[in-house]
Amino acid sequence: MQTANSRTTISPSAALEAARQELIEETTRGAAGRAALECYADRVDTLLQRLFFEAPPPSQPVVIIALGGYGRRHLTLHSDVDFLVLFERTLGADEELFVRGFLHPLWDLPLVVGHQVRELGEFARLETDNPEFLLALLDARRLVGDPGLYSRFLSAFHRPDAHASILDLLQTLIDERHAKFNGTLYQLEPDTKDAPGALRDLLAVRTIARLTDPALLGYGPADPARLDEAEDFLFRVRSIVHHERRRNQNLLSHELQEKASQMLGYAGAQPRQRVERLMSDYFRHARTVSRSLEWARKIAPRPVGVNLVQSRDGIRFVDTQRAGREPHTWLNAFQAALDHSTRVADEALALIQQHVDRYAAEDFFPTTVERDGLLKFLKPQRGLYARLSEMHDRGLLGRMFPEFQAIFSRVVRDFYHKYTVDEHTLLTIKNVEKLTGETTSSRARFSGLLADLAEPELLVLALLYHDVGKWSDEDHRVESVRMARLMFDRLNLGPESRAMVEFLIANHLGMSLVAFRRDTEDPEVVRNFAEVVGIEERLKMLCLLTFGDVGAVSTETLTPWREELLWRLYVDTYNQLTLRYGDERIQHDQSGVVKLLDGRPSDVSEEEIRRFLEGLPCRYLHLFDREAIYRHVQLSRDISSDHVHATLDRRGAAWELTVVTLDKPFLFSNICGVLSSFGMDILRGHAMTNPNGLVLDTFQFTDEERFLELNADATAQFLEVLQAAVSGRVDVAARLRARARSPLHQSKVRRFAPVIHADSHSSQGYTILDIIASNETGLLHRISRVISRHGCNVELVLISTEGAKAIDVFHITAGGAKLSDAAQAGLTADLQRMLEGHDEAD
Amino acid sequence: MKLIKAIIRPNKVDDVRAALEKMNISGLTITEVRGHGKQKGHTAIYRGKEYNVTLLPKMEIDIVVADETTDDAVKAIMQAARTGEIGDGRVFVLPVGQTYRIRTGEQAV
Repeated sequence: MQTANSRTTISPSAALEAARQELIEETTRGAAGRAALECYADRVDTLLQRLFFEAPPPSQPVVIIALGGYGRRHLTLHSDVDFLVLFERTLGADEELFVRGFLHPLWDLPLVVGHQVRELGEFARLETDNPEFLLALLDARRLVGDPGLYSRFLSAFHRPDAHASILDLLQTLIDERHAKFNGTLYQLEPDTKDAPGALRDLLAVRTIARLTDPALLGYGPADPARLDEAEDFLFRVRSIVHHERRRNQNLLSHELQEKASQMLGYAGAQPRQRVERLMSDYFRHARTVSRSLEWARKIAPRPVGVNLVQSRDGIRFVDTQRAGREPHTWLNAFQAALDHSTRVADEALALIQQHVDRYAAEDFFPTTVERDGLLKFLKPQRGLYARLSEMHDRGLLGRMFPEFQAIFSRVVRDFYHKYTVDEHTLLTIKNVEKLTGETTSSRARFSGLLADLAEPELLVLALLYHDVGKWSDEDHRVESVRMARLMFDRLNLGPESRAMVEFLIANHLGMSLVAFRRDTEDPEVVRNFAEVVGIEERLKMLCLLTFGDVGAVSTETLTPWREELLWRLYVDTYNQLTLRYGDERIQHDQSGVVKLLDGRPSDVSEEEIRRFLEGLPCRYLHLFDREAIYRHVQLSRDISSDHVHATLDRRGAAWELTVVTLDKPFLFSNICGVLSSFGMDILRGHAMTNPNGLVLDTFQFTDEERFLELNADATAQFLEVLQAAVSGRVDVAARLRARARSPLHQSKVRRFAPVIHADSHSSQGYTILDIIASNETGLLHRISRVISRHGCNVELVLISTEGAKAIDVFHITAGGAKLSDAAQAGLTADLQRMLEGHDEAD
Repeated sequence: MKLIKAIIRPNKVDDVRAALEKMNISGLTITEVRGHGKQKGHTAIYRGKEYNVTLLPKMEIDIVVADETTDDAVKAIMQAARTGEIGDGRVFVLPVGQTYRIRTGEQAV
């Protein structure tokens, strides 16, 4: 392609030399300020544009982008000419030819070129380890090349989160740079670029304003015109320094001060007088810059999300018109307020109030992104009550959840509730929220439960809806469930989450009734309550819901005495669920089984279901929904010794492994070991065995190393190793040892004293091992290996984790019976030894 | 007059109150208390760790009755609060010298 530029007859070096001469003349006249530098930058632009068109064309879009000072057109005589050669895709041979053709002529010219050759995809992730480059990118300016590609680059780079990160990095750079100058601008030999109050500080002021509030400088301590004046002065001085030193150095030494004062035309008979006047002007300008920067750093709003900034009065929308049109982004303001421990600014709240009536519930959560955002927002954390109250006050909560609006200022005269139903509801959430921070020692136990919940947001959702049915005078639990179902549909909540929230709402009075009004020392009372609850996760949720609900009736209702009653019921029920569930086997005529048979798919026979369920603990029916149970039945078909039937499924942020096989020694240990050998962190799980030796294990785990996500054949590979391990073809311990030896995987886990409690009394058929230990890779494998080495059979296992703590309950037998006292003592001693970090004897 | 102080199981409060109301004894004070008698608490286990539950939650009911109704009131309380197990509680009967009504300052009969 030929253009007017490329037809010019003058050579590149001659063109550059002419431009430099012009700039030198301006410099020696003391006039190489902003206008002269811009003019020089334009001449360099022309040169690069010409070289661009003279280079062999690449076979894909390319754009040349000026960066940093050059991007701002502030190019002094010896400044680096920084630019980016950006391609759309991976470079091929044509692109290499182009780069060579474009860059090589530049190397022959008296320019210091700083270039980077990149692909667009590289800007998807922010290079936070290269802050100078990120700042230079902020001043990007298209010199020549594909405008569409340039536009895509801008969109990829200019994201609010990127701006926020860059601002943070800039603040750090400023601090580090100022530290080099002892934090003072009053340097007798100042660096005209880096010193406090010099050009970099001026640029920092403008960058902060640009990334946060472009109007910021308009109300700062210095008029923008004074900053322009300071900049022009600093450029004129710096140009002289460059010229005199003949290199990119910026120190205005005593010697150069004399020359500069002369070139800049300062009056005075003696050099000393001229220098004093020059430096007096320098410090005046540097002070202006320095004060402006200090103010901007203090006052500037900080980008905290798309169209959101954090200012001193809280979270604000940047573009209010856009915010008014985008109700699905409003929750982000409240989330940002939570994330940054602030409030939503009055201005933003007023905007929401002004527009909220235009929108229906669906408008706030149009896609899964917003629905997931809501669930994240509802996780108990400090400030949640305050944010929900802000939303409620401005009519947003009632629009997002029309069912909640039904109890707006609703009064129910029952003589013990002290607040309206809506405020009571929000206070229940406040009570739970308080458990997330520092609590009294007696409440630490409830805090521990909250920290242990896999989906605490469901607890908050249940609290939000537990009393909405009070708008009517009928049984409010039933009405609340009915209304909650409308919300489930709108939010497209998954079946398990629905079941949990529905259970909590329907039973929200149940635990307080039993704890405060029933004889909980009667084992039958606890057993019946455990039957209603079914599994520990529900128990924990219900306990916390009761804690929040009772505490929100009035300030006097949840006394320490009542807390104690509640906690004791929790502990007794927990023990019932975890220690005694093995004794309660599924009966063929119980209602859960009948329902399963009635609703079975056509390819699953009644006989298959009965055979599969035979002898499994009743707990199984609480743990899994019908679809999952049918899948398990299907997995159990045609199973033979040494074979595993397994599935691996994504479950939100975690994965779930389901294994059906036949029991054999070291089976559980090997399965856990395979998971650990792939770097998986087991969060929770269950292992069950029926009397026919059929084993069903489920594990939920996280894949921190993203093995399953990043490798196309990962699932197949994993299942193959699992099969090999179960059939004895792979030595799991060796795999784990190899992994442990890798420096990549040597992490220091915070160890704490393990707790092992063996109990042969709670269950009729099993010895129960309660083990609490540091959650380390391979822990379950090691524990179960020690158990198997002692000739014990792992019959049932409950696996859970609380942060760094693993809590595992094993139901074991030896020779089909409970362990003898001696066997129990030997096993616990060996487990203790292993958990304390001593090597296992092979 | 006698002060009857009954320490009972928390879940028995409603039954005791109902029994007393049947006897037209309506003035009573209920306090949440903790303590132990013969039922000296027990060892509970939570997640493998044992802890002593030495002070058990109980309810204390205080009523003041005329001398002639004391036995019936004590009987009603015991019948309503009894399960037969350790931990049912205790009833104390104390003589009352004087009572005054705070609002009026008068001595009550």
